[in-house]
Amino acid sequence: MPVTVRFLSAFQDLTHGRKIFFVDENRFSKILADLEKEIPGLKAKLLDQEERIHPAYNVMLIRGDVSHLCHGLEFKVENGDELVIVPIISGG
Amino acid sequence: MNGYQGKMLTVDLSNRKTFEEPIDEAFAKKYVGGVGFGIRWVYDLLQKGDDPLSPKAPLVFSTGPLASIHFLGSTGISITSKSPLLGLIGDTDMRGRMGGSLKGCGYDALVIEGKSDRPVYLRVTEGSCQILDGGHLWGKDIRQTQEAILSDAQNRNMLVTSIGVAGERLVKYANISCELQFFAGRTGAGAVMGSKNLKAIVLGGKQKTPVSDMEKVKALVKAISSKIQTDGTCDTLSKYGTWNTTGPANLNGILPTKNFQATTFSEIDKIDGDAMLHAIYTGKRTCPGCPIGCRRVVKGETPYSFSTEFGGPQYETVASMGSLLLNGNPYAIGKANELCNLYGIDTISTGVTIAFVMECFDRGVLTEKDLGFQLNWGDPEGILRMIALISLREGLGDLLAEGVKRASEKIGKGSEQWAMHVKGMEVPMHDPRGKKGMGLAYATSFKGADHESSMHDEAYQRENALPELGFTVPMARKQFEGKAGLVKCLQEYWGVMSDAVSLCKFPMIPPRPLKPGLLVDLLNAVTGWNFTMEDFLTTGERIFNLARIFNVREGITRKDDQLPKRFEETLKQGGSAGESYPKKELEKLLDEYYRLRGWNPEGIPTPETLSRLGLD
Repeated sequence: MPVTVRFLSAFQDLTHGRKIFFVDENRFSKILADLEKEIPGLKAKLLDQEERIHPAYNVMLIRGDVSHLCHGLEFKVENGDELVIVPIISGG
Repeated sequence: MNGYQGKMLTVDLSNRKTFEEPIDEAFAKKYVGGVGFGIRWVYDLLQKGDDPLSPKAPLVFSTGPLASIHFLGSTGISITSKSPLLGLIGDTDMRGRMGGSLKGCGYDALVIEGKSDRPVYLRVTEGSCQILDGGHLWGKDIRQTQEAILSDAQNRNMLVTSIGVAGERLVKYANISCELQFFAGRTGAGAVMGSKNLKAIVLGGKQKTPVSDMEKVKALVKAISSKIQTDGTCDTLSKYGTWNTTGPANLNGILPTKNFQATTFSEIDKIDGDAMLHAIYTGKRTCPGCPIGCRRVVKGETPYSFSTEFGGPQYETVASMGSLLLNGNPYAIGKANELCNLYGIDTISTGVTIAFVMECFDRGVLTEKDLGFQLNWGDPEGILRMIALISLREGLGDLLAEGVKRASEKIGKGSEQWAMHVKGMEVPMHDPRGKKGMGLAYATSFKGADHESSMHDEAYQRENALPELGFTVPMARKQFEGKAGLVKCLQEYWGVMSDAVSLCKFPMIPPRPLKPGLLVDLLNAVTGWNFTMEDFLTTGERIFNLARIFNVREGITRKDDQLPKRFEETLKQGGSAGESYPKKELEKLLDEYYRLRGWNPEGIPTPETLSRLGLD
């Protein structure tokens, strides 16, 4: 079962409005490399100059009912996991 | 004095007199401006127990020194009074142009005292203030009011700030609006203005305010603007406005839903950022000197038609008129926003009040007989009818116009348990069970539950969030540890000082580019002062403590620094499933928070603290 990657209020111009992608990989770094082929320019926006997740965005890992904030790119994902890429909060 | 006009205008409506008073530099350095000036004057002019709607109670419009330049909403204004909703100090701010226009008339602040014996409006220009008959304006909504005022040739091209009908009828959460676009929503300042029979303030002046080092100001503005446009941290705010928060809030399980019974909404796909862009967005507007442009222009057609004239609903309104009421109709949210704006009431307090009534219906505490119609969760027509009833104080709306605290006390039957407020002010759209610092911020803010008084936990989950203020270690949003120090510091920096200097809070949220050091540099470049970061934060601490001792004078102690009991219940699903806000955890945080503040265990500032801050 592939990993689901969802873009929530982010990068819709790059994805041309598409919100959900499916990727068969087991690390976020690999998922990102795979997605870059479908969404050119994604890495340049989602990562900062030091190849870390850009501070303007959060990557959330959803596994069942539990969600985690992801740090770094080398975390493992499992079949059926969902990754959600969201902007940081604006303050209301 | 750079950054200031050096004088304030006082209008005594009872005696129809106006007079100018000087503002000296020592006072300006001590309180800076905006909320700092406002709280100082309201504290001095009132005594314990004074009625906030009495002629004696002042209404203060105060600018900050950065209103001298047009940058990131700096031309906005703070409005301070004793809040009729809380019975405590009240302060609300709005961006836009009112502050810049008041400076243009030659004043740093406008203080309204007394009460006119008939409806009036003020026309202030450079060197002149007239108290004019406002009888023809009374009963008009804010659009009709602005049209009527601007149709007078003498008022052409002037800036109109007014109340709606809700302010006239003393709805305790009535707002004040400017140019149909900007709203000082919280704490009920509109009712204070209405209690004085003051319908509107019209400003027209172009006097420059002296600036110490304009070349340095220009360099700082250029550097900050460039970062905002290029570093990516404001991109989604620019594209979605604050709607960029709705989807993530739902994902994190902090989106108030069904009167805070839940924190995820099954119809989120209809009201998140992308959905709102698709449904009602037509463009964006900016405050003066802002490269972000977070304000939305929206339009809706029949059956929920609304105009592009008004500011579109922000996140708080999308949630308070949407998920909180189980309303997944973006057009109905747009219409509710427009109605609240026209009548002149705060969308957050209104939404929370309607949610309270819906829950009363759900639990059989209120029935069709009480309201005149059935009110079910998610009923758009019912929501719109409720807004009118409250604004006009018709039927049960008369009681609901007092706020959920008073309404629930009167209705009884256990309804106090689902009246969501802190110290009388309705809880905004961030469930503290999923962001623990926000809970402490709600409990200790001088104006009750307010989401702009301290910080948002989500911004401090990454390392080096705000190193200049010592916040380098990541703090998870759900953790209690470390939040007392974070909340205290950010109450002073983000909560108070942004309003004192007068600047939009959004570019200051980490990781955005307006860092503390740059803000102090900007203040110094405008004023010619040599404020250090310590001076800056101490000023914030002084203003915060002054607000606290105003409230202590009114009887506030630790027993009032609490959260609604509902937040002690554990969330069952969503991104904050399993989370609660136990009272014992809040008490532990309060112990630490009071110690850091130099307050005694009852939450009262010690004499040593007040002396250190120059407030003895």
